Amino acid sequence: MVRVWQKDLRETTAVTLALATCLSAAAVAESIKEYRYTVGPSATISVDTQYGAISVRSGSGNQVVVTATLKSDKVEVDHQQTGNRIEIASHLLPGADQQTGQVDYEVLIPPDATLSLRSSTGPLSAERLQGDLTLEGTDAVVNVRNVENGHVHVRTMRGPITLTDVRNGHVEIASISGDVHLKSVTGPLVQANSGSGKIFYDGDFGSGGDYKFSTHTGDIEALAPADVSADFSAHSMMGRVQNDFKLQPRHSRFSVEEGRSFFGTVGKAASKVVLRSFSGKIRLKQR
Amino acid sequence: MTCSDVQRALPEILDGTPDGPLAADFESHVQSCPDCSDLVSDLNLITSEARQLAASEEPAPRVWLGIAAQLRAEGLIVDSTIREPETSAPLRPMLVPSSPRRRWSAWWLAPVAAGLVAAGSYVVSHKPAPQVAKQQGPAAPGTSPSPTSAEETPAATSDSEPARAPQPLAQKSDPPTPPRKVVEAAPSAEDQQFLSVVSTRAPSMRVTYENQLKAVNADIRETQAYVNRNPGDVDARQHLMDAYQQKALLYQIALDRIQ
Repeated sequence: MVRVWQKDLRETTAVTLALATCLSAAAVAESIKEYRYTVGPSATISVDTQYGAISVRSGSGNQVVVTATLKSDKVEVDHQQTGNRIEIASHLLPGADQQTGQVDYEVLIPPDATLSLRSSTGPLSAERLQGDLTLEGTDAVVNVRNVENGHVHVRTMRGPITLTDVRNGHVEIASISGDVHLKSVTGPLVQANSGSGKIFYDGDFGSGGDYKFSTHTGDIEALAPADVSADFSAHSMMGRVQNDFKLQPRHSRFSVEEGRSFFGTVGKAASKVVLRSFSGKIRLKQR
Repeated sequence: MTCSDVQRALPEILDGTPDGPLAADFESHVQSCPDCSDLVSDLNLITSEARQLAASEEPAPRVWLGIAAQLRAEGLIVDSTIREPETSAPLRPMLVPSSPRRRWSAWWLAPVAAGLVAAGSYVVSHKPAPQVAKQQGPAAPGTSPSPTSAEETPAATSDSEPARAPQPLAQKSDPPTPPRKVVEAAPSAEDQQFLSVVSTRAPSMRVTYENQLKAVNADIRETQAYVNRNPGDVDARQHLMDAYQQKALLYQIALDRIQ
């Protein structure tokens, strides 16, 4: 009986030691690095990684703080400051793959900085910023939140894109098959195009902007309040359209085609809204 | 002057710099030879169309200079004086055959992507048509432009989509939404090269890019077929432009990814 107990104890100890060794090795392989920079007004910051998340928020003052979590020693971080420009990039070493080559970044920047983010896998997120933003990814999920007064350019291959609370923005979004969600997004120009992805808009279309959403096969759905002020134009070449609003007719270069298009204004037509799809459905819904 | 002589003289003639006797012999032969006459006629048409394209869609010279500089930096082109000092032809950059020892580069994707956008712009904007009249006065179903039309691309002619022949706008009062049929077509040389590069540089992404490429090509064919049937439909032309831009976007994303 005692021998059996001793044997069990030895086995348990061996397994525990093996696990501890593995965990400590993993802990050693993963490393965290922090970089700090001082910049002037309207700095330009770019972060580029093949694999990994990039999360950017506004920090305090004129400081840029980059925290990089490297998943292994098969990847390095190249960083450089040239005047008011900062470039951060992951650098894969031989043998790196999607797991070992991953670097996750958390970045704090001045709110007025111009920002460029690129990651194949993502996710990419930016919030509480006022400068120009460019976010690019292949499969990356993209989230932009609480941004104002800047240009917001996003492009992905498959990654879904969500913009929330973007005010007075010049927004241009392009995706091949990713869905696009826009919630409370307004500005002088808001443009989204997706091939097979869907486009959802939930907002009031501001007070004087151009909004253009287009897809090839993806559906388009816009949800607006009853007191919206916009000039609507919707047309699906081979899909269906649906409209909850009572539109005031206006002259259009197109003849209205029942079920395929609608045109007209609501309120004072402050903004222009164009919804176009080749074969997707278009729905304009009243909130 | 024989037919072969005409073919040799063609570039000079088309450039508009022939000497006196050459031009006279050339004209004489072309007037008496239907084959050469057709050839010259076709080439003149292509030349004039290309000039229109250059005038309307030509990017700024700095774009081409930038591409050329990059290609030189990558070693993909060199001046002909370097490789062919004995030639008396005008100096032009030439492609360098790839060497297995040289580092592979994907920069060729950049001009290809730019070319896709330019091609899309050209196809969309090339043939203005009375849009309102076309929309309100529907064309006959199945009407398609002449095979020699500039819009009739190989991709468009190769797709046979009888089940999805769209009707002109004014005739479509309540048609059901047709099911999407993706017609497979042989990938172009550029697409094959693109997929080959992806296979080499990012093999795990090959299937993804291939599927995306098939999808955007299907979109282009589908829209092109619609435009061919409804050449005055401005919306359709814009969708065609968008489809080409989607393909350019795919190339650009790949370029960024597989550097």
